[in-house]
Amino acid sequence: MKKWLFLLLTTVLLGLTGCLSTESDVSEDNTESGGELPTINILGLATSEDDVNILRDQLAKSGFDVELNIQPDYGSFATQRDAKNYDLAVTNWTTVTGNPDYAVRSLFTSDGDYSLFKDEKADTLINQAATELPADYQQTYTDLEQHIVLDEAYIAPLYISYKAQGINQEVLDVDTVRLPRSRAAVWEQYDFNDESKRETDPLLFHQSISTLTSLDPIKGNDGSINTLNTNMYVRLVNLTDDDAVVSDGSLSYNYAIGDGNTDYYFILRDDINFAKVENDTAVDSGELVSAEDVVFSLNRANDRNSVPDHRTYSLHERMETIEVVTDMTELDQTNADGTSIKNELAEGLSAPINALVDSEDEVNNAEGNYQVVKITTAEPFPQVLNYLAHQSAGIVSKDQVEQINTFTVEDYDVNTDIAYGDQRTVIEGNDTDNTLYASGPYLLINKNDYEARFVKNPAYMPETNHEPKINEVLVKFIQDAESALSALRNGEVHVLYGIKENRYETVEEDPSLYLQTNQSNGVTYVAMNTEAGPLTSRALRQAVLHSIDQEEFISFYQGNKLKTVSTVSPLVDTGLVVEHDEAQVEQLIQDYFDNTSE
Amino acid sequence: MPPQQIKQHDRYKHGQFALVLSLVFTLFFLYLAVTRQTMVYTLISLAFIFESLIQQLLLRRLVKEGVSPTDHSKRTRIYTLLQVFSLFTGNIFTASFAFRLRQAKETISYTFMTYIFIADVFLVALTALNIFKPYVTNSFLIILISLISLTVIDGLFIHYLKADITETKSHRARIKLLIVFLMITALTGNVLRLLLSYQLYIHYIQTDESKREQSNQFWQKITRSFTSMLGLLFIVIIFSLSWMSTFTFVESFAVENNYQTLLLEPSLTHPFGTDNFGRDVYSRVVRGGVISLTIGVLTTLIPMLIGGALGAISGYFHPLVDQTVMRVLDALYAIPGILLAIAIIAAFGSNTTNLVIALSIGAIPMFARTMRANVLIIKKLEYIEASRAIGESEWKILFKHIVPNALAPMIVRATLAIGTAVIATSSLSFLGLGVEPHVPEWGNVLRVGSAYLETEPYLAIFPGLAIILLVLSFNFLGDGVRDALDPKMN
Repeated sequence: MKKWLFLLLTTVLLGLTGCLSTESDVSEDNTESGGELPTINILGLATSEDDVNILRDQLAKSGFDVELNIQPDYGSFATQRDAKNYDLAVTNWTTVTGNPDYAVRSLFTSDGDYSLFKDEKADTLINQAATELPADYQQTYTDLEQHIVLDEAYIAPLYISYKAQGINQEVLDVDTVRLPRSRAAVWEQYDFNDESKRETDPLLFHQSISTLTSLDPIKGNDGSINTLNTNMYVRLVNLTDDDAVVSDGSLSYNYAIGDGNTDYYFILRDDINFAKVENDTAVDSGELVSAEDVVFSLNRANDRNSVPDHRTYSLHERMETIEVVTDMTELDQTNADGTSIKNELAEGLSAPINALVDSEDEVNNAEGNYQVVKITTAEPFPQVLNYLAHQSAGIVSKDQVEQINTFTVEDYDVNTDIAYGDQRTVIEGNDTDNTLYASGPYLLINKNDYEARFVKNPAYMPETNHEPKINEVLVKFIQDAESALSALRNGEVHVLYGIKENRYETVEEDPSLYLQTNQSNGVTYVAMNTEAGPLTSRALRQAVLHSIDQEEFISFYQGNKLKTVSTVSPLVDTGLVVEHDEAQVEQLIQDYFDNTSE
Repeated sequence: MPPQQIKQHDRYKHGQFALVLSLVFTLFFLYLAVTRQTMVYTLISLAFIFESLIQQLLLRRLVKEGVSPTDHSKRTRIYTLLQVFSLFTGNIFTASFAFRLRQAKETISYTFMTYIFIADVFLVALTALNIFKPYVTNSFLIILISLISLTVIDGLFIHYLKADITETKSHRARIKLLIVFLMITALTGNVLRLLLSYQLYIHYIQTDESKREQSNQFWQKITRSFTSMLGLLFIVIIFSLSWMSTFTFVESFAVENNYQTLLLEPSLTHPFGTDNFGRDVYSRVVRGGVISLTIGVLTTLIPMLIGGALGAISGYFHPLVDQTVMRVLDALYAIPGILLAIAIIAAFGSNTTNLVIALSIGAIPMFARTMRANVLIIKKLEYIEASRAIGESEWKILFKHIVPNALAPMIVRATLAIGTAVIATSSLSFLGLGVEPHVPEWGNVLRVGSAYLETEPYLAIFPGLAIILLVLSFNFLGDGVRDALDPKMN
């Protein structure tokens, strides 16, 4: 018995040693290069925990010691970030205007809103690119990427995201729901499968943030109001789904660029009136959205002191003058292609341009009396059009805003003064009246913590393609992504923007839902702290840059991400790539040790 | 014995309980076999059906023949032996029953030994699953072989301890050796070995009859309670498995991302599947067990010591001290424990030390109140008055004469509190407030799984089951300890 047992054990032992390989068999030789690497502190938001984890894993495999600092909400994250309390910060950037200047200016210039570093060469390149047209700026942006990412490694790119939107196709006509790259949702085009429901049923839309920064377009630029203000205020131009600047569905019939890229002309429509709130619904105020309002709105947009808490003037500060053109001869000049401005503006108009009028009372497009607005930039800056398509360039009513904002900006007291667009004016059951004047297709009537109610502007391009089809829109506020998805699946919302990659399948498999995807301008990157800590060393920054394997991020997101180099990558094809290279990382770490030991 | 009396007997009830559990698992495995259509599940479910049948037959024969093996016919003994081997198909319920049925007079040592053996078998089987991994740790083979040998040796000891050993000198020497052996092998993390060696020491080495009597009374109650032994067994298996995992489980499978193995279904290589980072969930659960258990035990021990001391002081000394301490603790009691923990972690950052501190503070008042109540009763007893009369110091009276006698309810509280502490730890990690996200703490593992509940439910089911079973085990054990320590039941 014992002999037999012994024999059995020996055979098992021999068998196992034969076919099992151990850890030391498979692990490669990790020759440590002279000394201990410093600890790297990664700052991240709880929602980007997966990215932080992949990054941690990749850096750890390169030999770094990694500590995580994960903040539960954006506020605490921003506090830590602004205090530069990190070595690496996992950050998102979305270019909402669809132009490359916006993608680089606030991050990479020395005096940008969210400036990450100070570098003269980067400043020069960014300012040079701003004056150029697409054919020329491609090379400039390539040089910029080469400098800030590959040479200096100020940032390390992770990936470009897709945007995805789930639609209830049993209720909504999927073809009417657009998913533009940069522009927010286009509510006026949404339609039900059953057209008879337009008057009776509301469109159920979703938004995660319920606290609205401000309904004055220039006073906010964040997820809480972008979609709402885009649909409440019309702009001079719009962006297509692929970020081309067009006049479709905007306040202008056409626009033209003067020779030299500093003068921009817009010919205005006369079929949009402001809507105001009366008896809990939207009514026509009878006031035309005119050139006067455009001049007023854009002047306050580029004036830092026009309102307290102006959050968007840096987008518009390159406009120098905004004026109404009344001199017809000015339109006779030709643009770079040799066609006259007048011809370009007159294209497709129902009545030829007879006269350019100043006063709103004289406007009558049917008789040929048009209004033209001219915008001049200090330096040639073709991308100004993208900023004009941004939510913050929405047109507000001059009369109404001046009537509400009676305080002086210096003496503004948030407790006693209620500015135009203040959230308090729309909260249900509040004593303050809703004083909003909407130039766009919908008007916000009231809101509570759970939903906001919008009613269509009755005087918004009536009897055209752009007349809003659905009478009422209810925006449901659901913060948690999973709950929002459940809401979409059981019909509590009709459209859900921002489906997570691991949920595509769920939406695709549900027969009542339709998944729409489009490339986005959202780039996730890692900002490096170049002011203090270990990453002041360029070699170490580059080591971090090349430790990152974008392929691994892409496979984690099941292929639903794209490679990137910087925040310009979705907008300009620079042809550059960042390679994951272990040998190079080892060399760079060696360089780091050589430098520090000196 | 008349049939009616047999049906009321502990052993018969144990058998019935085992039958029910065995049937439940039979249904579970049958369901898996039908839905998954794999060989392994089919075989296991067939084995379970067979074992449940035998168990049913065995119970019938027990009613006829009685519960003692000396009265059993040959066929009944064969059935019993068959059920012993059901251990190897994973049916601990019928196996533990069969082991119990094989001894004429129930001794505590024998029961412990059988449970040690069962734990050994599970430890070997669960560790051996690593064979299917692409590679194993350097020490894996040596440890696995040692564990197998240990299991065989323990099997032999069961036989040795089956008969009640008479107290002769030669036996006593052997027992001493056995105790040393058990103490050394307790390094595998099998706490039952320590209990058994203590038991052997009390029973065979030391000579104080009253101590022996006292300990017997307590342990007999525990060992006869099937549920508390099952709880103890599961705790021991989890603890020793994760304790040994440093040497037997490859760490990188549990913590390093592997993008070639994202979201794989359960298989022999990955028994619980892989998560969204390609980490092996089985390795994570096993390696995380020691973290969850340690945090659970620490967050019970710390408040037990602090709360116990505060409670004893406020119960024994002047009412002014009592009022001050207790009102402060009342204020603390008013804050919900988990909220307090969230606040502390939000303020000081999330890491393991802060987590332990945060969870400990909230539990102090509960232990303080328990201790104070007991001290209040005991300090009125005559023997305390006697010690005071002979001039012993107050502190000595308190900590030497009162506290030891007031410990029983504290122990019961603590055993039950560990379960709550494990849940609290996991809840905080689940909310993203516990340990760092890549650390395989059970709450963390469950959190990753919860995002895939619809598409890959096993990612949440297995860590969820582990938490449930561990907490349930502590509760079973706590109930057993409470019954055993309750003076009214003695």
